[in-house]
Amino acid sequence: MNKFKEVIQANRAWYCLDCGKCSSVCPITLHIVDGYTSPRLLVEGALASGEETTLEDPLLWSCLTCQRCSEICPSEVNFSDFIQGARQLAQDQGRSGRCTHSGMVQSWMRMMADPSLEQDRLGWLTDDLALDQDSDTIYFPGCLPYYHAAFAELGFEGLEIARGALKILNVLGIQPRILEDERCCGHDLYWQGEMETFQMLGSLNLDLIQKSGAERIITTCPECAYTLRTTYPEVIGDLGLDIFHLSEFLAQQPSLKTTLKDNGSEGEKVTYQDPCRLGRFAGTYQGPRELISELGYQLVEMDHNRKTSICCGTSCWSTCGQVNKDLQSSRLEEARHTRAELLLTACPKCQIHLKCAQKEPGKSDSSQLTIRDLTTVLADRL
Amino acid sequence: MSTLRTGQKVILFTCSWHAYSCQEEVGRLGKPQTTAVIPIRLSCLGRISPGIILKAFENGAAGVLLLGCPEGHCRYESGNLEARKVVEETKSILKLLGYEECQLDYQLLPAENPDQYLEVLHSFMTRIQDSRVTT
Repeated sequence: MNKFKEVIQANRAWYCLDCGKCSSVCPITLHIVDGYTSPRLLVEGALASGEETTLEDPLLWSCLTCQRCSEICPSEVNFSDFIQGARQLAQDQGRSGRCTHSGMVQSWMRMMADPSLEQDRLGWLTDDLALDQDSDTIYFPGCLPYYHAAFAELGFEGLEIARGALKILNVLGIQPRILEDERCCGHDLYWQGEMETFQMLGSLNLDLIQKSGAERIITTCPECAYTLRTTYPEVIGDLGLDIFHLSEFLAQQPSLKTTLKDNGSEGEKVTYQDPCRLGRFAGTYQGPRELISELGYQLVEMDHNRKTSICCGTSCWSTCGQVNKDLQSSRLEEARHTRAELLLTACPKCQIHLKCAQKEPGKSDSSQLTIRDLTTVLADRL
Repeated sequence: MSTLRTGQKVILFTCSWHAYSCQEEVGRLGKPQTTAVIPIRLSCLGRISPGIILKAFENGAAGVLLLGCPEGHCRYESGNLEARKVVEETKSILKLLGYEECQLDYQLLPAENPDQYLEVLHSFMTRIQDSRVTT
């Protein structure tokens, strides 16, 4: 069997019923103006015409791999993984998507794959944060120091998220360790089909984490959590320890509630953006909502929430154009209609992308909406 | 004239105006140049972005030097100011990656000044010669 057929087979594309339910919910399809395409048409093309048709389809690179289509598919076609597999084949042929930010993020990810690299990534730690390099808990900040440097102009919270996570863990009596030579988890390279670099990054992290002897990893990035927990065992190797997104971990810590200070925001309306990798991919919907409730806020859901939540609009630092901006503006409009003044999310990238969309001239009038990470809001209340 | 170790390369970004005229003048006068420097001419340094600079380091550059027009002399009004912001942002990313601050530099250079051009280039190569070895 050739590789393309293997990708079809592995992801149940044969079972597509041509019903078009995926096309009715795909956020990209909804906003496409020129060159209409949809998950259904892409799969139909793959089955009827083969590899070349698929690799030429614009959705191959613009797909957000948000899993919204698979959530509704009656045949359980795994479209996101199908796209990932097809992208691998495309990369093998020297094809790739259009990088955003002139490929800045891809560059630093690839540079981190160099085993001889000696990063200087812990300069953000402050004296009030307690760490213990023999701790059984690793806090994995992922690319937060890098995103902080790159997206400061957007007002992105970046390192406030990392410091907030440490403050929360400290209050819970946990003094975690941070791996000085931690590398990017490789999520974006994996989903772009750039397997060789992903494997290099993964192997470096696997080695580092296994040698640490720690028993659990806590991260504030849903993509890191999903990649370390699910993708590494499939592609790199099992890390052999528990991996949590902070919101998942805190849901198991009832003592946190008693330590939260009142800041007079009781009953204030907030809305919540489910990150794709935390929600649809990991099934974590309730944990963040419980934390919001513990903060005393009144959660007002957007029209699309939980399983039907809409992606923040760009993935893998690739293919961001008018379609993505329209999608993001429409999502911000949904948030505005809740009449909440605070939009909480639990993913650094959701925050970056939605804050970027807020600056898009003439689009959504969402300037009154404050976008923050659940971590920093929690930390402020300790 | 290169003070770099064998194999080390410098990527030099200039706009089409002041610094580029210096480069042309160096060539016209037949002054010695080094193959360790790879010049890339842009319409304006306002075109530069962190991604472009990082790409140079990803591909093994030992240093990246940008030569812009003196303040108030940008043909596109603010390109040289934009470039400065980009350089500062990129420096903070490079620091995280373990690079030394001197490996990325931005200097302003008046037109038709070949000697100063060579001096700036030589000084940059001297400063980076002992910095992190890149592949």
